[in-house]
Amino acid sequence: MEIRLEKAYLIFRKDWKEISRNWQVILPIIAVPLVLTIVLPVIMIYLPGAVYNQGVYTGDVTEFIKNIPSEVRSQISMMDSRQAMIYIVLTYLFAPFFLIIPLMASSVIASDSFAGEKERKTIEALLATPISDDELLLGKILVSFIPSMAVTILSFTVYTIVVDVLTYDIFYGKYILPNTTWLLLIFGAAPAVAFATIGLIVAISARVKGFREAQEISGVLIIPIVMLIAGQATGAFFLGINTLVAMIVILIILDIMIFYIGKMLFEREKILVRLD
Amino acid sequence: MSIIVAHGLTKRFGGLTAVDNLSFEIDEGEVFGLLGPNGAGKTTTIRLLACLLIPTKGEAEIFGYSIWRDQLRIREITGILTENPCLYERLTAYENMEFFAEAYNITDPRERSIRIRELLEFFGLWDRRHDKVGKFSKGMKQKLAIARALVHRPPILYLDEPTSDLDPESSKAIRDLIKKLSEREQCTILLSTHRLEDAEKLCNKVMIIKEGRRIALGSPSQLSMMVNEYNILEIRLRHPLNKVEDILGEINGVDRVEIGKTVIRVETKRDVEEVTPTIVRHIVEAGGEVLSVTPIRPSLEDAYLKLVKEDGDKA
Repeated sequence: MEIRLEKAYLIFRKDWKEISRNWQVILPIIAVPLVLTIVLPVIMIYLPGAVYNQGVYTGDVTEFIKNIPSEVRSQISMMDSRQAMIYIVLTYLFAPFFLIIPLMASSVIASDSFAGEKERKTIEALLATPISDDELLLGKILVSFIPSMAVTILSFTVYTIVVDVLTYDIFYGKYILPNTTWLLLIFGAAPAVAFATIGLIVAISARVKGFREAQEISGVLIIPIVMLIAGQATGAFFLGINTLVAMIVILIILDIMIFYIGKMLFEREKILVRLD
Repeated sequence: MSIIVAHGLTKRFGGLTAVDNLSFEIDEGEVFGLLGPNGAGKTTTIRLLACLLIPTKGEAEIFGYSIWRDQLRIREITGILTENPCLYERLTAYENMEFFAEAYNITDPRERSIRIRELLEFFGLWDRRHDKVGKFSKGMKQKLAIARALVHRPPILYLDEPTSDLDPESSKAIRDLIKKLSEREQCTILLSTHRLEDAEKLCNKVMIIKEGRRIALGSPSQLSMMVNEYNILEIRLRHPLNKVEDILGEINGVDRVEIGKTVIRVETKRDVEEVTPTIVRHIVEAGGEVLSVTPIRPSLEDAYLKLVKEDGDKA
């Protein structure tokens, strides 16, 4: 049967109205990007400067630079130590942190939208409406995906402005963001991460009883991102253009697999029977 | 004309048979009660007819649409009050109604707003339309949930335990509303309940089910008569009357007489209206002063308890 987009949009509007009135959902979606886009860059820009002026970290910075991949080393070859430190932290080490935003936002929204509806015992009347499984699923995916990506893109925009404004003098009028890596990260990797999270929650939604349980299970997705952050910090892994493209391709394949499994498991009867 | 026809409807969850070979027909305009103890299979039966569950075997047709093949069409023509009110508590009453009106294909905004207003006014919720449902009492939520189920003018309405969890006052209010509704909206109602009062006051026909099986089916009075062979007449006298047992025992049609101090219970297999004048005449001629004559109809409760017990004994 053909999917009626207006029905999916109806689910989207209803869920968004509900979610936007739920501080349990909205608070982490606002707080995490706020810390990542404003608080951390400000600390990073001003903290190394203060420390450097006292001549404390010079040796450590040189040592740290030695461990980073040559691709980044070439980008900072003409910079002084302070510029190099700020550049590495803000454009290189911070990059994988931004994958946490779509992961967190989509996991919180999808958990509320799928499992939360079960928990609040509102799903039976919804399942009784003449809205098909596909329309229902599409509406719920949209309400998890669109706000997550909106928050990610908005965070990236704010972060770029904050970083460029604060480092304008340090880099003598040169803007260090956006660059190709970040664009790939935000418009390629971030949607793929958001989609994988939503797919996983759809897949487990018939088996969990509520919001918390869904969030806890979807929390396993943070592990690869933490590994990515640790890999970048230790120099074991570099999130360059080639790596990012490969990562996006793998994520898209995973997305498709998770989505089909989720779709197979999204059955009205199973969702309903698990309520009792 | 039967608009719901179920034949051999069965639903198993693993080893548990929730609905066991149920067959019944519901006529247009009828208020049909599914009566049974908790866990009897009432909710599962409603969920099967609302196409929320797929039967293990058997068939049901609603207005000729099969629950196997025409699920979306059946959902369009039925309204359901689920066991829980299933309302979005962060949305207002109006927003809840509007969402479901659109979900049930009322696409014209004007038609939608007229219908929502009509229903919210009928249920006395119009003044609270902009309040979030989370602030509503249980009774108000139940009214709103029924209004929601009716928003698309369904010819068939399923009401699953509409008065459970409500205080006696709210239960009565909901019962009165359902009674009014069945007349006003002209829809066929399938009502599941474990409350005999609901079944007795609201239903034209009642099916008693236990462990998913049909125990009995008929109008409340037919069910009562099924287990009560005799009609009972209670006669109150001003003063005790001597030899009343002998006097009444001679009357043709009187099968049993129980004598209290001033109250006489007469049991008859005949229609009470047929034997009452003769009985009263005999008492008066014997010098008795009759204060009142009350026919005691056997209650659905008596029938229900007896039928459920008999079924348990058989098992």
